[in-house]
Amino acid sequence: MTRVKLATTHGDIVLELDDENSPATVKNFLQYVRDRHYDNTVFHRVIDGFMIQGGGFEPGMKQKPVRAAIAHEGANGLKNKRYTVAMARTNDPHSATAQFFINVADNDFLDFKSPGGSGWGYCVFGRVVEGTDVVDRIKGVPTGRTGFHENVPTADVAIRSAEVVG
Amino acid sequence: MKPALFVSDLHLAPSRPASAAAFHAWARGPAREASAVYVLGDLFDAWIGDEQAADPFAREIVASLRGIADAGVPVSVMHGNRDFLLGERFARAAGATLLPERVVVEAGGVPTLLVHGDELCTDDADYQRYRAWIRDPRRQRRILALPWPVRRAFAAWLRRRSRNANRMKSDGIMDVNAAAVAQAFRDAGVARLLHGHTHRPATHALDVDGRRCERHVLPDWHDRALWLEIGAEGVRRRELAP
Repeated sequence: MTRVKLATTHGDIVLELDDENSPATVKNFLQYVRDRHYDNTVFHRVIDGFMIQGGGFEPGMKQKPVRAAIAHEGANGLKNKRYTVAMARTNDPHSATAQFFINVADNDFLDFKSPGGSGWGYCVFGRVVEGTDVVDRIKGVPTGRTGFHENVPTADVAIRSAEVVG
Repeated sequence: MKPALFVSDLHLAPSRPASAAAFHAWARGPAREASAVYVLGDLFDAWIGDEQAADPFAREIVASLRGIADAGVPVSVMHGNRDFLLGERFARAAGATLLPERVVVEAGGVPTLLVHGDELCTDDADYQRYRAWIRDPRRQRRILALPWPVRRAFAAWLRRRSRNANRMKSDGIMDVNAAAVAQAFRDAGVARLLHGHTHRPATHALDVDGRRCERHVLPDWHDRALWLEIGAEGVRRRELAP
């Protein structure tokens, strides 16, 4: 179970990645960590009571380039419980690249139900083991609209660096 | 200008935990960013009297509604065909206002007629007869006077009858009747109508007496938070997803 520390503007968050149940997703995530992709990205979508999402944009909402999308590993039994981390994606179930989100509630409705249509849900691949208080602080920041994006924190919540810590 | 949010047909019940989870996330998130929240009926899959507000599941839903109101967002709730027994005790606990069957509100600067939608399904003569019978205020008072276990049995009986009856009805009968829709536009003097009930989300453009009108049907919730947002940019369909 590899651990990754996200050093953010609001404190440190340590994620424990479940490479046993989501091997390909964890491998993909770790590659972005090692490529320093997450350094200087923001949590660009924060919805209190739901989730905080990041890993895709630099401050100023400039999108960072990503590698190829990965297949959905969501039929792994892991649930979108509070403080778990899952991959964000478009409507295409197999479109996850670098963006991820941390659940701030038990979001049962995001769980994998069946491979097909809207049953795919979102693939959980780890959980917060340190810094749940930081997550709780981030989820409550004031947000607003920026261009096409909504729920954007009015003051940047940035990941200064992301690194493997054991 | 913050948008107004419209939902209906959530059919919240303990047997549908994903919808309930979605509702709580929606109530804590997008709902608190609205100028107003309107629930156009069938918030609950069944409501047989305000005593139900004391049960653990209902308490959580009421608390989430209260959270929206406490955040300064007015919450208005219309009766649906499943939860028409929602009463003042529920409304007070939830910090919500109960709406009449038909109401016109300003949404995005446009006068908009809100109804649950079952009254527009006039081709379903059986249903309309049942509706007139069950919504009679005297009958409702008598139902609410029944002891709780008797009321529950009665409600279960009604549900069984309805399910059996629906099995024999064609889809056309259970959808809204065009003439009833046109009359609703005329009576209210508006060009925009929002309703739920039919579980056939769509936007319909139609002509009523030479005037361009729009009918927006709200989506029912199947494990996802779905709503209509009306603000400066007009009507937008939204979904709560990462």
